[in-house]
Amino acid sequence: MKKIKVLILRTAGTNCDYETQSAFELCGAVVERVHINTLVEEKDKIFEYDILTFPGGFTYGDDVASGKILSNEIKNKLGYEVKKYALSGRPIIGICNGFQVLVKMGLLPDPELFKQISTLSYNDSGRFECCWVYLKTEKKIGSESSCIWTKNLPDVISLPVAHGEGKFISESKDFFEDLNKNNQIVFRYSSKDGGEPEYPLVSNGSTERIAGICNKKGNIFGLMPHPERYVFALQHPAKEGFNSKYGWGKVIFQNAVDFAGQ
Amino acid sequence: MFEIEILTKKGFKNSRGEHVLSDICGLGIENVTKVEYSSLYIIDGDISFAETETIASDLLTDKITENYVIRQRDAECLSEVISKFSDVKEADMINPNFSVIEVWYKDGVTDIVSESLIKAVKDLGIAKEIKAKAGHKYYLYGEIFRVTLDTIATKLLANVLIQECKVY
Amino acid sequence: MKCTTKCKTIEILNLSDEQLFELSKKNVLSLSLEEMKIIQNYFKKLKRDPTDVEIETIAQTWSEHCKHKTLTGMIEYIEEKSGEKTKKTYNNLLQETIFKASGELNKPWCLSVFKDNAGIIEFDSENGIAFKVETHNHPSALEPYGGSATGMGGVIRDILGVGLGAKPLASTTVFCFGNPDMESSKVPEGVHHPRRIMKGVVSGIRDYGNRMGIPTVNGAVCFDDGYMSNPLVYCGTMGIIPKNKIDKKVESGDLVLVVGGRTGRDGIHGATFSSTQLDGESDISAVQIGNPIIEKKVLDTMIEARDLNLYRSVTDCGAGGLSSAVGELGKKTGTVVYLDKVPLKYGGLCPWEIWVSEAQERMVFAVPPENIERIIGIFKKEDVEAVCIGEFTDDKKLTLVYDGDVLASMSMEFLHNGVPKPARRAFYEIKEEKIQKPIDMSSFEISSSLISSLADLNVCSKEWIIKQYDHEVQGQTIIKPLQGNNIETSGPGDAAVIFPYTAVKNTRKGIVLSNGLNPQYGKIDPYKMAASAIEESLRNAVAVGANVKKISILDNFCWGNPSDPEVLGSLVRATKACHDMSKAFEVPFISGKDSLYNEYFINKKKYSIPSALLISAMGVIENVENTVTMPFKKNGNKIFVLGVTRNEFGGSVFSKIKSIDGGIVPDVYPRESKDIMEKIYNAISGNLIEACHDCSEGGIAVAVAEMAFSANKGVYIYIDAIETLSPLKKKCRSGNEMTPVEVLFSESNGRFIVEIKPDNEEKFRKILEGSIFSEVGYVSDDKKVIFESKKNNIKVQQSSEVLLNSWRNTIIGC
Repeated sequence: MKKIKVLILRTAGTNCDYETQSAFELCGAVVERVHINTLVEEKDKIFEYDILTFPGGFTYGDDVASGKILSNEIKNKLGYEVKKYALSGRPIIGICNGFQVLVKMGLLPDPELFKQISTLSYNDSGRFECCWVYLKTEKKIGSESSCIWTKNLPDVISLPVAHGEGKFISESKDFFEDLNKNNQIVFRYSSKDGGEPEYPLVSNGSTERIAGICNKKGNIFGLMPHPERYVFALQHPAKEGFNSKYGWGKVIFQNAVDFAGQ
Repeated sequence: MFEIEILTKKGFKNSRGEHVLSDICGLGIENVTKVEYSSLYIIDGDISFAETETIASDLLTDKITENYVIRQRDAECLSEVISKFSDVKEADMINPNFSVIEVWYKDGVTDIVSESLIKAVKDLGIAKEIKAKAGHKYYLYGEIFRVTLDTIATKLLANVLIQECKVY
Repeated sequence: MKCTTKCKTIEILNLSDEQLFELSKKNVLSLSLEEMKIIQNYFKKLKRDPTDVEIETIAQTWSEHCKHKTLTGMIEYIEEKSGEKTKKTYNNLLQETIFKASGELNKPWCLSVFKDNAGIIEFDSENGIAFKVETHNHPSALEPYGGSATGMGGVIRDILGVGLGAKPLASTTVFCFGNPDMESSKVPEGVHHPRRIMKGVVSGIRDYGNRMGIPTVNGAVCFDDGYMSNPLVYCGTMGIIPKNKIDKKVESGDLVLVVGGRTGRDGIHGATFSSTQLDGESDISAVQIGNPIIEKKVLDTMIEARDLNLYRSVTDCGAGGLSSAVGELGKKTGTVVYLDKVPLKYGGLCPWEIWVSEAQERMVFAVPPENIERIIGIFKKEDVEAVCIGEFTDDKKLTLVYDGDVLASMSMEFLHNGVPKPARRAFYEIKEEKIQKPIDMSSFEISSSLISSLADLNVCSKEWIIKQYDHEVQGQTIIKPLQGNNIETSGPGDAAVIFPYTAVKNTRKGIVLSNGLNPQYGKIDPYKMAASAIEESLRNAVAVGANVKKISILDNFCWGNPSDPEVLGSLVRATKACHDMSKAFEVPFISGKDSLYNEYFINKKKYSIPSALLISAMGVIENVENTVTMPFKKNGNKIFVLGVTRNEFGGSVFSKIKSIDGGIVPDVYPRESKDIMEKIYNAISGNLIEACHDCSEGGIAVAVAEMAFSANKGVYIYIDAIETLSPLKKKCRSGNEMTPVEVLFSESNGRFIVEIKPDNEEKFRKILEGSIFSEVGYVSDDKKVIFESKKNNIKVQQSSEVLLNSWRNTIIGC
């Protein structure tokens, strides 16, 4: 079987690259952590990989605003290649800081537009918070979310979050209507049974409690929670998981590896 | 030398300002009714207004939630506003009931935001040697005595050992 | 010696004693008269005056911060007990107490002890784990945010600079602050309010640790007004290192490569400044601001260079800057450094400032010339500045050059071994402790005492701090600081466990981190404080599943001015306990640090902090599956108290909230305690324990309440079943001597609360055979915490939700 190759794009301040690598490796992929300077030198190298990952961290210290400097850098130095990659339908994931980067360069929600039309702003709680949350996996009656990353997940899963700027907002109301209409909302913060959560289960004040979205096609996925921190049951606060061994985060990476292998 | 101020657009939460307000209440000061925070940057060097505007709009401003104002600035104080968006607090500017506290690092103190900023300006394709400085600006609303402003500045917003503040 | 406008000659050859002393003071050299005279003599022999670079180099190298003169110096110690005095002379206090115990224990799994930037023990056949804890007290008092951030940055660099570099896996932080609710008018002029210090310190740690991507997983906070002007900020970091990267050796001809941040005027005199008291007129340049992203870049790149074997040695620039780092590396060979090559943040620095500046995020490497291009290439590729500033020679001299002029030329021998050993006097009087008057209370009073204990600053939830730290980054934190039976966690875990699966492929092993600290005990007896801190750190680790035979510990002393014989006497007393307990528990010290001169002046009156000894423990866990958390798990399970409860209220939380005088400080009974720890390990390894919690501040009452409310469950405890002993008549078993409230709130060491499934009871009892323990109750589903004594007609009943809220709501909204 063909080995799936994953590119984890890193730069100064990236800090979730190793656990993201482990998560993909656990799903049978071959992973390379590549510094942006290396990729900029050889831009076409990006097309050698089946999956592109923007991991969590504090790129450039989150100075100015989270993910801002990196998203500018990518747009200016790799914009053409990244857009082409995105439109090719290959899986792309942005986790936490990676999600902030995707949104701020405009690869989400619409890679064709490739323009920032939404943002991840300061949490309503006013501070960085690290805790576990429940996430409702959005499934429309009749039509499941088109997101290729979240197949085979139960209605509600839990994952850890750790961010200070995770409030997903936009200027226009239509924006959210479109997201809903196009099944682009992937995860919402929820209570244990999928209902309305209370603080601290939701601390950032996201519109419609959005925790993760995808593009219309479903190959590009961005989320604030950290699936790579829950690939083993052991990582759960009460050591819960599936097959008495794995955490639900693993399914997310497995989906992409399987998709890329098809 | 240009000063860029990044303001939160109306209708969006100014979390940092709200946080400061609750801290002010924590000091036992009651007559501050509202606080708005905006970040400040000074860009110095052989740089044009157009380039400064690119930096402000493409790098420093979150288009969804923020606006910017660019001011020409000489070493001492700011002067006229030379570019701004329409909904910047014009009404507020003429409201006498607010005061401002600006906080800047003293020269020689490590200012890491400005270090990142210089890198990011290069990424924008502006290949000039610039100097940058990052600061904070707090608008405090309410009838506040000067001595109270000084207390807020020194007990809460700035550490005078390494930072200087301007109160006006 | 040619002098330029940038470098001055300091005329000392003809100075009188008085003038010498004045010179030391004026230039913040912190050198004693005796030391100044030795310097004078050295230069008399050289027949010339020193330059300012030379004087500053000596002051830095000989500083208390870098040399630990007091703890390695000579001490005449007098101990008085009931009017009788005994005398003992230490030639080197640390050598004869703490190091001695480690040497005698001689554990084969200790890989590097007290010789490198951190201590290292064996993790598995391929890897070692390194741990170091530092303090950053004075900088945090002046600038809480920058001070604590650079404290964290500094200890992370210790881990990067141990051996040929370890990869940081987790951090710990322990703080001592004044009361955050202190009235502003009571805060002295020039001192930040304790709340501001607390918030600033926490933000600083948060921003540095989170940006580095190192989870801060364990810690403690202690509040006492004695720390109002002089807070304590302890930062620790643990990292993993291949065993074949532990040895390092500089060779003559290697190049000196400085990597990372640029040098500026920040942090000048940090090393010498740490030996002076805070007096409200402190030097601005002693404040540093860190840049974690530079340090992260250094970490990313240096591990790559390490694995390619491109350098022979490395160390971090900490206190004393390049002077300390290059000086240490070149101690045996000699070195020449061209100060004009050091990359600067801005112009205008004098050569001596470049040499001793404590600008952050710098590391120094010793690189064989043939590798220099490759290694610089690796750094450059990721925008890390790396500049060759000199080389290691074979002349055993320190030579500093600026613009072609030699500004310093001194023998390494004089620099590193020339410092005179100070001789100090120490005195300690052992005071007799008396049991407090019997405490008798109604059920209602006990219930409200439980609520006040849970809400006490030193017991209450530290959730506000923990959640601001990214304690999950790297995905390896499997026993977390806050615990529960689902994702809504609230209970205070005893220790953290890291499962380093990304660093060590296919491992099942884990690393446990815990701590012990109780300055309140130290106000009465520093020996018992030290012993209790050691025992508590072990107990915490054992409670989550650690094997006490595989635990190592670190000491961090924060004391007042050692020239006061009583202050030093209490320090000697504490080090004795360290030696005794290390031996008795067979737990080796692997690293340590001291911060002395923690005192300050207000209106010319001198105050000293309450002495504090932090013990940090690190151990290896054989199988991460065999770990437990503290919340109760299932209704109907049985509860046991392991260990014996004595009437020990000295320094307790209960004494504080009830203003009770006297009381005996909890003692440590190593044989009893070690025996129980070993048995708990056996029981946890055999999967016999559902929940386990250490019993410390607030006693059994607080520990049981925490286990119940973190699980949202109820519990019934039969007080009369708890095993008690009188601390004065050690052998006599007499449950009657303690009242119910005493049994519930006494803080005796060596105790655990354990939850067992009824099915496992027999096996569990078998393991515990021969130890003092008893079944005391069961987990219930009515969400009520009940303590009952039929003998005394006491029944305390409180809902676990009320208890949770009183524990949770003390520090919120900061």
